[in-house]
Amino acid sequence: MPARVDGQDLAIWRAASGQTHVWGDRCPHRGMRLSRGFVRGETLACIYHGWQYGNDGGCTQIPAHPNLVPPKTICATTYACAEYSGVIWVALQTTTQVCRSFPGQAAVRSLAIKASAEKVMEYFSGADTGVVCVGGTNDIALALQPIDATHCTAHALASVSADRKEVSRWLESQRRSIELDLA
Amino acid sequence: MILYDYVLSASCYKVRLMAALLDIPITLKAVNFHPEKQHKSPEMLRLNAAGTLPVLVDGDVILVQSADMLRHLVTPKNAGWLGDNPAQTEKWLDFASRLNASLGMARLHDVLMFDADIDQVRCDGVAQLRQLEEWLTEQRFDGMTFLTGAAPTIADIACFPNAALAEDGGVSLDPYPSIRLWMRAIRSLPGFIEMPGIHRLHELSPAPARPE
Ligand code: FES
Repeated sequence: MPARVDGQDLAIWRAASGQTHVWGDRCPHRGMRLSRGFVRGETLACIYHGWQYGNDGGCTQIPAHPNLVPPKTICATTYACAEYSGVIWVALQTTTQVCRSFPGQAAVRSLAIKASAEKVMEYFSGADTGVVCVGGTNDIALALQPIDATHCTAHALASVSADRKEVSRWLESQRRSIELDLA
Repeated sequence: MILYDYVLSASCYKVRLMAALLDIPITLKAVNFHPEKQHKSPEMLRLNAAGTLPVLVDGDVILVQSADMLRHLVTPKNAGWLGDNPAQTEKWLDFASRLNASLGMARLHDVLMFDADIDQVRCDGVAQLRQLEEWLTEQRFDGMTFLTGAAPTIADIACFPNAALAEDGGVSLDPYPSIRLWMRAIRSLPGFIEMPGIHRLHELSPAPARPE
């Protein structure tokens, strides 16, 4: 699936083994979007000409040249990623920062908002950490994915016992007021 | 049954797709909608005074609304495709016609150079996609994959094409994970057929054999 983080287009995919991968959303062949591709076992296949890439991003097969072992230089851009409580974190740069985990909480849904992550943080008067803890009876937390100056995605988690529809509707209403605030 | 058809039309595709899923043979008559405007020719206007496509002719029955065609294709044997709750199905059929006026029009503007208030139709389209996303998310919480329940109905087939083709009209589908899951479920249905801009799920077919 596609995602944009800080202006970087990414392709996120899960191999059959369950491992997640976050790559740059550009096929090394002709630069088409890898997120349009499809997963076959442990490889991601580009939809355009079918080049396949393995776990390390290296090209494993070129259908038009079936007998060629693709050179090591043909490689997708890969990023470090980790998954906790249903949230996939990606590091665009090398980092020593540890990922936030959310004990007792589970992912509910992701909501695109027409406002920067900073503005959303400000709206909830949160500290600038990328995570807003709303709390309440549903124990809601929002992991904010910065997209660009006017867009972000809020990945909402809530207590495992929360009513997910209630959380979802609450999120919709928050989005309405955040976007109205900025209009 | 004869379908007067245009390969790039989302509404014509609804009917082709429904017929394919129900395994009903239909004869396609290609109408050159663009650039020849054959749907406005005297012969076509005699069939459909409104001059729109698709047109479905089954004996004496001539249908000019795609929702009517979907209903017409469903037989008692496949009655599940009408849904358990007719009011719900109708609601989403109505939603499909609004998608056609927003995302459908944005696509006609971008692809076939139709005259449209492009900012307005895109903005309407985004508002509708958000509604669809919210509903499909709630359905998912209830373990339901489709618009009106666990099984697909004509309402899903009516809404699917214009949603799936949104990017042809400059509206991104990236922000809507539940819509994308729903579209995958439709593309996984046995008998699913493609149209330009909507491809099948390649991972469902076996990998082509490597030559020795
Ligand atoms: S662009 Fe990806 S295989 Fe050609």
